[in-house]
Amino acid sequence: MDLNIANLWVINVGGVEIWITETIFNTWFIMLFLIVLAIIARIKLRNFKVIPKGFQNVVETIIEIFDNFATSSLGKKLSYIAPWFFMVFMFLLSSALFSVIGIRAPTADWATTFALALASLLLMFFMGLRHRKGSYLKSFFEPHFIFFPLNLIGELAKPVSLSFRLFGNMLSGTIILTLYYSLTPFFVQIGIPVFLHAFFDVIFGALQTYIFVILSLMYIKGAAD
Amino acid sequence: MPEERLFGLDSQTLIQIGIQLLNGIILAVALGYILYKPVKEFLHKRSEGIQNKIDESDATMAKADELINEYNAKIKDIDEERIKILEAARAAAADESKIILEVAKQEANEIKKRSLESISADEKRLKEEARLYIVDLATHIAGKYIAKNMDDEAHDRIFEETLARMENTKWPK
Repeated sequence: MDLNIANLWVINVGGVEIWITETIFNTWFIMLFLIVLAIIARIKLRNFKVIPKGFQNVVETIIEIFDNFATSSLGKKLSYIAPWFFMVFMFLLSSALFSVIGIRAPTADWATTFALALASLLLMFFMGLRHRKGSYLKSFFEPHFIFFPLNLIGELAKPVSLSFRLFGNMLSGTIILTLYYSLTPFFVQIGIPVFLHAFFDVIFGALQTYIFVILSLMYIKGAAD
Repeated sequence: MPEERLFGLDSQTLIQIGIQLLNGIILAVALGYILYKPVKEFLHKRSEGIQNKIDESDATMAKADELINEYNAKIKDIDEERIKILEAARAAAADESKIILEVAKQEANEIKKRSLESISADEKRLKEEARLYIVDLATHIAGKYIAKNMDDEAHDRIFEETLARMENTKWPK
């Protein structure tokens, strides 16, 4: 297991180099997995019964729990953006869980976490302007217009802190596990890493997923209300 | 091939952020349209269906309660009606019995009257019969007595006396 993010391919588009990194490849892999899973669920949805069981139960539980969580956090008025955060939730959780089987979590790359945090920031601005209009812009100049730079930095710091929190936490697990695999003899690399993966990937991953999503929802609700 | 790295702040990082943002948008659209919305619609429809069934049950229960109340009221009305009918029947029966009694009394009186008249007529007839019988008997006895005791002299004397009495009698004008 390597700590650095490997570059798999380099594509040249109009003279601009684009690195296809391990993060991007793993992201596509997770995307493919989630989309295939969604298609299977969509096909099975045709035969969903009134009284759910088995696979239907799992799908319904995930969607219902997330929808209730998003609606209670955002309120009915803003719940239409829940699908975006459903994607964020599923992607972050899958990234953490896939690292259990040795696939480097895309969230252990700042580009990924910042992209998601940037989306939250854009949504925050958009929702603030859409629902509060002038009063949202006015809030940047309160309590006095000289506070504008501070308010602006405060708002811009949100995605930075969000992205670095997630990146740092996911990377810390990756670093610890990399060090463990690098420094320990072969015979202790069987069995024991299960607990380390369970703690850093599953528990930390789920916790960080929850924190990222709930903070993003709170920022957006704060901007729009 | 560029060197591997853990973190960097350059144009490549911006490109990576852009790609990841695009990936996120594609995934959000795919998951939203393939899974999230249809499942939510399914759950919503099912909730609506269940709610409709609950509403229907409530409506049926309300209707049943209404029917129970209606029938209870009808039973109460029937009781009242029964009491009224019974009272009316009793009153009618009492009236009829009065009439019957009256008629019976009248008939009895009539019968009594007729019986008394019949008795009186019988009595008269019997008296008349008895009188005639007595007259016959007296005549018969007198005949026998006269046949036994009257001679020609006595016969003539009585005949003369009777004739004399008849001569002295004034005839009505």
